[in-house]
Amino acid sequence: MRPRKGNLSFLVLIAAIAMLPVLTSNSYVISIMCFVAIYGTLALGMGVLLEHAGIFSLAHPTWFGLGAYFAGIVAIRGIAPAWAGILIGAVCVGLIAYLIGAPLLRLKGYYLTCASFAVLLIFEITFAQFSSITGGHEGLMGIPRLTIGTIVFRKDIHYYYLSWGLCLACFCFLYNLMNSRIGRAIESLHDSEVASSCMGINVARFRLLTFILTAVMASLAGSVFCFYIRFTMPTIYGFALLLEVLTMIVIGGGKKLYGPLVGAFIMIWLRELLHGLMRRILPVMTSEVDAIFFGIAVIVILIFAPHGLSGSLAAFVNKYRRSA
Amino acid sequence: MSLWSEIVQYTISGITSGSIFAIIGICWSFVYLIAKVMNFATGEFVMLGGMITWSLSLKGFGLLQSAVIAILSTTVIAAIVERTVIRPIKHGTELTYIIATIACASVIKGIALLMWGSETRLVKPFFKSEPFQVLGATLNPQVLCVIGYLVIVTGSLALLLNYTLFGKGLRTCALNQINAELIGVDTKKMRLFCFMLAGGLASATGIVTAPITFTGYEVGLLTGLKGLIAAIVGNWTMIGTVSVAMGLGLVEAFSAGFISSGLKDLFTLLIVIIFLVLRTLTFLPGRRWIK
Repeated sequence: MRPRKGNLSFLVLIAAIAMLPVLTSNSYVISIMCFVAIYGTLALGMGVLLEHAGIFSLAHPTWFGLGAYFAGIVAIRGIAPAWAGILIGAVCVGLIAYLIGAPLLRLKGYYLTCASFAVLLIFEITFAQFSSITGGHEGLMGIPRLTIGTIVFRKDIHYYYLSWGLCLACFCFLYNLMNSRIGRAIESLHDSEVASSCMGINVARFRLLTFILTAVMASLAGSVFCFYIRFTMPTIYGFALLLEVLTMIVIGGGKKLYGPLVGAFIMIWLRELLHGLMRRILPVMTSEVDAIFFGIAVIVILIFAPHGLSGSLAAFVNKYRRSA
Repeated sequence: MSLWSEIVQYTISGITSGSIFAIIGICWSFVYLIAKVMNFATGEFVMLGGMITWSLSLKGFGLLQSAVIAILSTTVIAAIVERTVIRPIKHGTELTYIIATIACASVIKGIALLMWGSETRLVKPFFKSEPFQVLGATLNPQVLCVIGYLVIVTGSLALLLNYTLFGKGLRTCALNQINAELIGVDTKKMRLFCFMLAGGLASATGIVTAPITFTGYEVGLLTGLKGLIAAIVGNWTMIGTVSVAMGLGLVEAFSAGFISSGLKDLFTLLIVIIFLVLRTLTFLPGRRWIK
């Protein structure tokens, strides 16, 4: 069974993204759109994890950070070519996610949330403390440029196509996955694990599968991110990133697959707008100050539009179609 | 410093931080049991208590006055959080409440950063006596205040919950919301009360501990999280929470002293993960007791 309904809008989206650098040569817009793609990939995976599979894991930014650190360390030490670092990172993160996920996913509800939050903080501390490998609090500096074959990724535009390629590939993969037999099994976990195990679904296996798949996606995004900004720091991948990703998922809404992507787009552009507006009033705009505005936004959306903007949009379109 | 006096010193600091975690854990479990909400803003209430006291005492208020104002204002903030954030969310899942309270926590933290800056602050000790020597280790008199505060809080809560009609209403509410409503307990009022109580207790904790551990806009997250760990591992009961919190404090103090102060949080977090996973095993011999 292959879904065809959304194909046209998906093609339009791809065309729009491919045409954007042609329409504007503004490197600021291009670089912000890179961040949208990278954070969007991360939020996409976490949205599937939280809202489709019903696994309340908060450890997702950890996989992003691990991907960045693996790729960065491989590139700096010259263990392998830079592009291989991305793949090595993905494989290693998949293994680590398996080793951590297998015992952790036995937990349910609040307990899983707390244990995964502990995992997030443990990795944040580990990145900061084992300074001989990870560079400590200052992080890894001087990550070389990404080269694939003879192509050197030098400009924003290269990373723009790389990150959007990754993002759309992940989206495509998840879209097809969620409409397949495996996807419907994952979807059923969210509503009732007892019912789905009665239907012959191996609950533990599918929970672990979703966990590892989304972890690998986050790791790929993290590796691209580290080559794009060319340094890594432990604080980037901790609680602050978790807040940002949760904000994206809540704003966009996780029930629709594209929701977190919409959320990432809105949140990152809103943040840029906010920084532009507030620069005169507030001298420092750290992520904690951003969190005031986004915290309020999250609360307002949770109260008035519990399914996020994509959910509200879908409800509105449905209503309009029915009345017309 | 001999090994023996080092051990005494670490035990003292372990019990001190254990008492802090115990009270915060009680705040968490109150809100969790009665309102069925994980209140991630608990740690920020601790921070608010310390910071408000610091800023008021800087403006020339006495210690007692500023402490009372800090506790009252934090209680009001906690009530505002319950009324404007938790109550309007309809049909929330566990995750919705977690995200909502995390958002509240980050709003509070951000505003504290804007108002008071990012430096760590020190509140003056309550009593002007010198630290005294116990078995070769130094004992700060403020430590006695912390332990006394823990004893007062647990004692009065035990009295409230067991011997008053209101306390029995709270316990009914924790057992079953619908039944509590049927026998005439105003569950909405109870939910509001438990949020306010948690806010007040947490801010008082922040005030009592500020002279020892310093205070700053960012102390909330980890302190709050360790309280949560104590509450979860202690299975949400008061005795369990206090004993686990003491254990956590001792582990932290000894690992900070003998291994590395940067890694002390790592050990406590690892212990809680291992404990939570062990709980799920069905073949463990002692399962009846740890569950």
